[in-house]
Amino acid sequence: MDVITGSVLKNMLLVAAYNLEQQKDTVNALNVFPVPDGDTGTNMSLTLNAAVKELERTNGDDISRLTSLLARGSLMGARGNSGVILSQFFRGFAKGLEDVTTEATGADLARALVSSSKTTYRAVMKPVEGTMLTVGRRAGEAAQAAAEEGGGATEVLQAALDAAKAAVEDTPNILPVLKEAGVVDAGGQGMLCIFEGMFIGLTRSLEEFAEENGIAPQPSLELVEPAQEHVAVTVNKYCTEFIILGENLDPETVRNEIASKGDSMIVVGDSDVVKVHIHTDFPGEVLQFCASLGNLTEIAIDNMYLQNLDYEEHKKQHRLDLPEDNVVGFPVAPQGDPKPLGIVAVVPGEGLAEIFRSLGVDYIVPGGQTMNPSTEELVQAVNSVNAEAVIILPNNKNVIFSAEQAKELVDKPVGVVPTRTTPQGISALMSFVADDSLEDNLEAMEDAMGEVKTGEVTFAVRATVAGDLRIEERDIIGLAEGQIAVVGSDPNEVAFNLLETLVDEDSSVISIYYGADQKAEAALALSEDVQEKYPECEVEVYQGEQPLYYYIVSVE
Amino acid sequence: MSKIHVITDSGSDLPQEILTEYNIHVVPLTVQFGDEIYRDGVEISVEEFYRRLEAASEIPSTCQPSPADFVRVYEEVAEPGDTIISIHLSSKMSGTYQSAVLASSMIDPEIEVRVVDSRSASLGIGVTALVAAKAVLAGEDVDGVLAAVQRVIDDMQVYFMVDTLEYLQKNGRIGMASAFVGTLLNIKPILTLQDGMVAPFEKIRGRVKAINRIKEMMDRYKKQHPDRKLMAAISHANALHDAQRLADYLEEQHLLDSKIMIGSIGPTIGVHTGAGTIALFIYPV
Repeated sequence: MDVITGSVLKNMLLVAAYNLEQQKDTVNALNVFPVPDGDTGTNMSLTLNAAVKELERTNGDDISRLTSLLARGSLMGARGNSGVILSQFFRGFAKGLEDVTTEATGADLARALVSSSKTTYRAVMKPVEGTMLTVGRRAGEAAQAAAEEGGGATEVLQAALDAAKAAVEDTPNILPVLKEAGVVDAGGQGMLCIFEGMFIGLTRSLEEFAEENGIAPQPSLELVEPAQEHVAVTVNKYCTEFIILGENLDPETVRNEIASKGDSMIVVGDSDVVKVHIHTDFPGEVLQFCASLGNLTEIAIDNMYLQNLDYEEHKKQHRLDLPEDNVVGFPVAPQGDPKPLGIVAVVPGEGLAEIFRSLGVDYIVPGGQTMNPSTEELVQAVNSVNAEAVIILPNNKNVIFSAEQAKELVDKPVGVVPTRTTPQGISALMSFVADDSLEDNLEAMEDAMGEVKTGEVTFAVRATVAGDLRIEERDIIGLAEGQIAVVGSDPNEVAFNLLETLVDEDSSVISIYYGADQKAEAALALSEDVQEKYPECEVEVYQGEQPLYYYIVSVE
Repeated sequence: MSKIHVITDSGSDLPQEILTEYNIHVVPLTVQFGDEIYRDGVEISVEEFYRRLEAASEIPSTCQPSPADFVRVYEEVAEPGDTIISIHLSSKMSGTYQSAVLASSMIDPEIEVRVVDSRSASLGIGVTALVAAKAVLAGEDVDGVLAAVQRVIDDMQVYFMVDTLEYLQKNGRIGMASAFVGTLLNIKPILTLQDGMVAPFEKIRGRVKAINRIKEMMDRYKKQHPDRKLMAAISHANALHDAQRLADYLEEQHLLDSKIMIGSIGPTIGVHTGAGTIALFIYPV
């Protein structure tokens, strides 16, 4: 095949998404760290699914339109660091094809793949070789070489696929940590699944390919429901949601026009597509105005009272997560004047979420350890906070990048404090001063997050070797500041030994947050042992309810 | 010859030997446990107070002295022609100042009373009264004494740590620091006094860290005022050990230009802070 049409390209992407989804567990298993979170395969698959879901917005075959939808979908749907990099890959891909309408030649595809790779490198502050970056780059280089030799679309994609395969196999030679763990790079493997899927999609439809695999294609992941906050008892009874498709749309204009018609408003999007959610007594007026801007689609209007959509249900549907007294001392009024500074935090577990709320956090995005939130969820969280500027606490190393990406997608000033653990987030909040500027707070919070040491106790999802430690699957492992430090068979014993590596003569406070699967009695027994061992420290125990991690401990 | 007398209230927490040595008179506030009312320092000792506070099911309250209480002390202390400098609890936190102002218009007009709002509490009032008494001994006239007093009030910085915000909150003296209330973590808030009111300064986890942070504030103040002689006082609510350690640090670091004064927080202030409080008052001379 010398050239591909838009409909072929669409099929290629659908097959790629399907292929990646089928293989995501294989990719997950490649994570170097044997901890049960931050799954690369899941993150990349969810990101790509969100991206191809956007393709359904058009029936047309215009290649530049398809790829720009793909780029935007992946941008909003990006989860985890690998998802963010993937979204940048598609951004570059769209850029490379922006002038292509009906048919893409081999040269066009090669240019797009080179552009993809360049965009990923630019997006990362310190590019590391031996990762998905390398795989994308070598695929792009091979595609370019094939195109220069006059290759058509098939040859170019074949070259890219072969180079990606070789690059993935090469990753352990480039990154010693992969070799030690005896794996190839997970993100690179994910990229390979995508190249593979795209190549297959050249000649086979999604249905054919799925049939060969014996598994029906899964419907792509639901778009994340708009999350929103501060639902007070409201007179605005119609929950109204729809999408505006058009040109030169401006979410700000939409916001300004409809804000006075209701509350709990969320308007996100860009010049081509705007997603609207509002609670209003005048859904007709909202629709009428928005219909004047473009085509409305996916319109849903629910009467929150008459239908059996009671408040609690609605709250659940919208992943609301709001306690009765949200934040003491910071009354939150959706229609009132915005406060100068709000805080969004990504927190695993309801217990920890309560602690974060009690420290003044306005909006909790649940997740972090089981599920990295998408960029869109973070964007919506930021937009739902009634504040002029917002600080995001990612509290997970795999969420920092998404938070940075979300920052670029909202209108208000946003600062990301790069907290890698929950205790770092708590420590940062200690120095938050509501009256200070965004900049001063960011500086103080970043300083403060360094004052705490974090330990985590979880189980190994696979056997591995870390330094001198031999770890079997299901062993209990203790991580000190993200590095495996202790192995054992009992969470309390591992936590106790882990603390020995973290506590020194300057330590004064030891906090123990116990997980959802850990009993309070066990946590208390641990704290008694710890208190006995470190009589000069204050030892505190809290119910964190975080999944997968028996204990999160901090020392300061 | 006409004399200048210095009078304060039981919120000043000055040790008895200082009161005696500098001839400073104290008008007591009253503390109320349920139906029982005690005059601070007269009918209830500090030790007994904290014992009862710990056991009390309800947080006790305080009551300002009545104008008549002031009139009695003023007329006892002063002769016609004398001047009284009456230095009291921040008017934003207590009606004591107001009572004193009322009393000043009720007494023998031959006695002049200058009522001063310390805009502070505990040894913040105490050291202000002490500065006044020393200025009197140094032979300053009324204006000279008041000028010295005003300088201390304007320049003083206060940092204090409480074990719990419960007492400040229940007694309605929490001011802007209410933003610190409600956290689920065991936080030792560091508070300050701003415009005579309690204001939040920092949230700190753990007592040791909180006291260390107070030390840092002293270091910072010294750096900001390298040319001025500094003095400090520490008051504590049943936490002499921590107060002494803080004092030792400040003296070892040669941050001060005179021996540091340590005072015990009495019932008047203790009702609002609870046991465990450590407060540092820094002022240049």
